[in-house]
Amino acid sequence: MCMEDLLAHKEEINRLMARYGVKFGIYKNGTFKERLFPFDPIPRVIPADDYAELEKGLVQRVTALNLFLKDIYAEKKIIKDGVVPEEFVYRSPGYLAQCEGILPSKGVYSHISGIDLVLGKDGVWYILEDNLRIPSGASYPLIARNLCRRCSPDTFRQNKVVDNRNYGQLLRETMDYVNTGGINVIFTPGRYNAAYFEHSFLAEQTGAVLAEPDDLFVSNDKLYYRGNHGTIQVGAIYRRISDEYLDPLCFEPTSLIGVPNIMEVYRAGNVGLMNAPGNGVADDKGIYYFVPKMIKYYLDEEPILKNAPTFLPFYEDDMKYTLEHMERLVIKDVAEAGGYGVIFGRDLTREQLNDLKETIKREPRRFISQEVIDFQDLEIVEGHTTVMRKADLRAFVLAGETVRVWPSGLTRFSRRPDSFVVNSSQGGGFKDTWILSH
Amino acid sequence: MQKLKFLFLTKLDFSSMIGEHHFILRCVPQVLPEQQVVDLDMKVMPQACTGVFSTDSFGNQLYAGSLLAPHRFFYYRVNGEIVRDDGERRQEAAASCLRYPTKLTSPSEEMRLYADELWQQELSCLSGDSYGIASRLSEIIHREFAYVPGSTNVYTTAAEAFRQRSGVCQDYVHVFLALARLYGIPCRYVSGLPFGEGATHAWVEIWQNGLWYGLDPTRGCLADEGYIKLNVGRDFNDCPIERGVFRGQADQLQTTYMKVDIL
Repeated sequence: MCMEDLLAHKEEINRLMARYGVKFGIYKNGTFKERLFPFDPIPRVIPADDYAELEKGLVQRVTALNLFLKDIYAEKKIIKDGVVPEEFVYRSPGYLAQCEGILPSKGVYSHISGIDLVLGKDGVWYILEDNLRIPSGASYPLIARNLCRRCSPDTFRQNKVVDNRNYGQLLRETMDYVNTGGINVIFTPGRYNAAYFEHSFLAEQTGAVLAEPDDLFVSNDKLYYRGNHGTIQVGAIYRRISDEYLDPLCFEPTSLIGVPNIMEVYRAGNVGLMNAPGNGVADDKGIYYFVPKMIKYYLDEEPILKNAPTFLPFYEDDMKYTLEHMERLVIKDVAEAGGYGVIFGRDLTREQLNDLKETIKREPRRFISQEVIDFQDLEIVEGHTTVMRKADLRAFVLAGETVRVWPSGLTRFSRRPDSFVVNSSQGGGFKDTWILSH
Repeated sequence: MQKLKFLFLTKLDFSSMIGEHHFILRCVPQVLPEQQVVDLDMKVMPQACTGVFSTDSFGNQLYAGSLLAPHRFFYYRVNGEIVRDDGERRQEAAASCLRYPTKLTSPSEEMRLYADELWQQELSCLSGDSYGIASRLSEIIHREFAYVPGSTNVYTTAAEAFRQRSGVCQDYVHVFLALARLYGIPCRYVSGLPFGEGATHAWVEIWQNGLWYGLDPTRGCLADEGYIKLNVGRDFNDCPIERGVFRGQADQLQTTYMKVDIL
């Protein structure tokens, strides 16, 4: 595969990324720290046929999730038809009653979806979770590929890798599609945000204006940007700030990083707001269980991609199964994100197991349990040799006029050999993801 | 049927100039078959304020406005005439979210135990009669709680107010909503103007067989045709009468007044 040349450039690529400021921010013990996101030069390689299947499955899933969101904030047919119990909607912290009845521009809710998958040892891709709020990470593989290409052009001449440089283009088309008249803006809470680097990079890639809270204001149901040459109306805003802080007059009143009354602009249909507030109701770990059912319900199709085998203690049978097999299951708290609230039964003492069982019996709605998927390890370079690490894949799916998968993705690997948690908030590094063109 | 005349105003005085002021006012009475708005006048000052009317997700009318230029006061006034007639209520469905707790109305363990006990002692005989249960619950809260202004603030949760058994109308209402929802009764927060003079008020509505019924746990009575409804929501946070943010280092002094007369 002519990899030696690329591998020889590991240090150089990491050095270049550090120089360009490709960093990952993290809050720990109340202080903000930036650290480098280590890059491993051995790519994850996905053959063309596998990718074609993945692509179909991801498009199907994101299409269904968008239909679910549209349904939940309007007619709620899926609840009335008994497919999703209303408990899982109205008790979800991601459900926002303030969004009831709002139809976003062009009816799109999840414009940028980050779907996390793992490849099992059985060669099957499993969906781990959907991220429909503000999934980050697309910039890392984009930059890494660019540097690899520069350091080792031969590698890309000899391997037929699908070009991934179109992410900015895809994102721009998505913004243009929902734009209601005005400029495109990427809205960042500022440089102390974990993903600030990405925000500025994506602005550059899409030609959108990078705006901080002070740059935007609302007047008479329209959103404006304060430019150097006067104010300009904003037609689409890709906001990289969470729902609760988005508008202090609608959500968290103490938020200083939001735009007051932006929700009214959105309600009036005067701005494309990406992603739609309230999407958390569809990427909740409890709702995850129902996604295959959504696909059947809305699309009348069989799900192409599999969920990890999941149990809902909410249902009696699943409760029984969970309690009886807890030692080998992974238990997830539905309210937590970013790799937190994930407990492996096998790591617990007898006492801890019993405590957890009691908690689950008391609050069945709060947890899901899953079979631990034995997923394929990937090779990473360590010193002069290679070692195996757990890795997942975040695929980016963009929904505009059509739903499209970016032919790339963020492959993250765990830092420690024994860790199954590959979330970037928990340490670890990343790899390029090659989609082969044939 | 009752004809009411109302006046409601609020003035904010700032100790120094402020700017970049954005606000939402939900100060206009709802237009409903049982609450006809015969005459309405609304004024927002300074004159330079601009804004737009719309309807929020709970069906409340709101006015979202702003004043970017520096100013030292903010004033709004609404007055008019209303015809209230509860015989005109129309059948409607209750949104499912009104049966689930919110941050402000999430019941504590203490409240769950209390609700269980109350059920066994006083309410189980009313099983199936949501209105009966709710009005008993409203009386009980009225009896057991002390009205103590200043003992709570707008962020106080139902659980906190319950623990101290005191608060103002907002707290009485949150405690009611938390407990009633434990019994599976669809219910909502109402803010508005009751017959009399003084400050705005909060009460509850509970839903049974397609109709909403008003109860006032603070006063221990029905919220009937003497009450003018401004807004509804799951809790206070969904439907504050006024909310605003501005830029500037200023203390604010709020003066508010309301009066409802029966004609």
